[in-house]
Amino acid sequence: MSTESQTFTEKYDLLGCIQCGRCTGGCPVTVRADLNVRRFVYDAYHEEKLEELARLAEIWDCTACHTCAVRCPKGLKPLEVLLGLRTMIIESGKVEPTVRDALQSVLLEGNPWEKSRAARSDWMEGLDVKIAEPGVPVENLFFVCCTIAYDPRVQSVAKNIVGLLNKAGIDYAFLDESETCCGSEVFTLGEEGLFEMLVEDNTELLNEYTAKRIVCLSPHCFTTYKTRYPDLKAEVIHYTQLLEELLREGKLVWKGDLQKKIVFHDPCYLGKQGDVYDEPRALLKSIPGVNLVEFERRRERSLCCEGGGGKMWVESESKKERLAETRIKDAKALEADIVAVACPFCVLTLEDAMKGLGYEEEMRVAEIMELLGEFVEA
Amino acid sequence: MKMFVCIKYVPDTSEAEVKVNPDGVTVDSARFSFDINDADNYAVEESVLIKEAKEGDITVVSIGPKQSDVMIRMAMAKGCDQAVRIEDDRIATHDPLMVAKVLAGAIKGQEFDLVLTGCMASDDGHMSTGVALAEELGVSHASMVKKVELLDGKVRAHRELEGGLLEVVELELPAVLTIQTGINEPRYAPIRGIRLAQKKELKVVNLDELGVDPAVVGLDASKVVLEQLYIPEVESSAEFIEGEAEEKAEKLASILVKGGLV
Repeated sequence: MSTESQTFTEKYDLLGCIQCGRCTGGCPVTVRADLNVRRFVYDAYHEEKLEELARLAEIWDCTACHTCAVRCPKGLKPLEVLLGLRTMIIESGKVEPTVRDALQSVLLEGNPWEKSRAARSDWMEGLDVKIAEPGVPVENLFFVCCTIAYDPRVQSVAKNIVGLLNKAGIDYAFLDESETCCGSEVFTLGEEGLFEMLVEDNTELLNEYTAKRIVCLSPHCFTTYKTRYPDLKAEVIHYTQLLEELLREGKLVWKGDLQKKIVFHDPCYLGKQGDVYDEPRALLKSIPGVNLVEFERRRERSLCCEGGGGKMWVESESKKERLAETRIKDAKALEADIVAVACPFCVLTLEDAMKGLGYEEEMRVAEIMELLGEFVEA
Repeated sequence: MKMFVCIKYVPDTSEAEVKVNPDGVTVDSARFSFDINDADNYAVEESVLIKEAKEGDITVVSIGPKQSDVMIRMAMAKGCDQAVRIEDDRIATHDPLMVAKVLAGAIKGQEFDLVLTGCMASDDGHMSTGVALAEELGVSHASMVKKVELLDGKVRAHRELEGGLLEVVELELPAVLTIQTGINEPRYAPIRGIRLAQKKELKVVNLDELGVDPAVVGLDASKVVLEQLYIPEVESSAEFIEGEAEEKAEKLASILVKGGLV
């Protein structure tokens, strides 16, 4: 977080850049858009050029996958230069209506999907869910995520984990409708002021619960809480980390088997940004019958699905093949039956691509929690 | 250019189920989200665009609860200069004429060139508050405005009529324009702008402070009695025909024959 007095150059440490080109060399978006992040880092040094740079359409092509940050030998985050330019546009107010409505919805209703706050816990209906109470100690405090809470396609992630937690008998609790957007996409859309407000409000809310760990269902919330909320008292983990722990402790029991070839797609926010690679694989491998195969581009080199960086609300001008389509074609070449992911955005983008390519009959995109819900004894 | 823009805080009924309360004349709003009325949002944007082009001063006027302050602050973050929020249970808000009288009370006695309102509120859909307000203020009006051109002492308003027709009218200023959606693209109110707007004046007044006689705008004064709100009964429904193309065609043909349509 910057102070107002910092210049753009200071804020993003532009003078630290040695123009080695590793950022652009790894950027997955360059195959379908005219985005050259290295050029932006170079040009942004000239403060008088900033307004002109901010008006370039390609600043909205970045998916905030963080490949450039992972590859930068100087430890810079080139993508954040683009986010800084987005901030200039956001603060002028003249943004795409879809972006405007998503951000306004976060402010008014605590989620970017223009859904009523009162409906946030509707997914819990009919389930035996333990609700957190301020001041009452809880080992694992769950943070659901706006997309999982409201989108019927991915609600099963939350529903299935409740059944599993009750079965495993561990100490857990969920927040009620007071749960508010973590701001992951608010940050990447460049709404710095709103993000600062969310950090302040969510830190206060989450610290009221005496939780040992905050378990996030979405990698976007996970990475955001882990890296951008300095004053959270609890440790932040992703649900695959908790389940892998339960697996090692023998608390997950499988029913039947799954004779399928599965390929795991590393979500950028879980892997590149959260450094969680092995746990989701361990969970998949443990399901009897599963043949886990790997993409050639995996782990730190995983291909982004283009769901992050606020891209759910910004359509690229490029008509070239979507990265999600490339990914599905790669899975097809591997003859995978299931593309397993651990992120709600990856489910939505990859499934769209799969349907668009007409592979619905022979392939399935599934969140790990969907599969576990089907095969874990609950 | 001295302007007033009148805005309303309305529920979004598109997502939550609408349930009528046992009293039969109100709806349960517990699960609704609230925001600025859509058309009013365009009216705010139009006033700000006029201010940016011609300079000026914009006052927001709204009747509503404290929760609506966020909507008013957003309008001020976009460029409106000050606001008056009227909060008083004695207003017969179901009657647009009563609402117009209250809004007029907040404007009368002050100099103004233009008053902008949305053309319609999404909750009660009367489309008459702005028109009634013009009458109360004793000025001309144009409704359903899709384009505004400011001339010397006049305004040329392009009005949307039925069937895609546009009517162009010229009005002497001051005037009231009711703004149709789509006239512009409302901007986003960034949080930093909303925070800065906290410094702008938002006056909260009741009818007495406004100098409006409650007897003139209350239930007894209104000639409209809200008798009943109800969800219309479903009288017909659509049937989705499933199956392969041939099967579907056969089923469809059978339905048409049975119904005496072929």
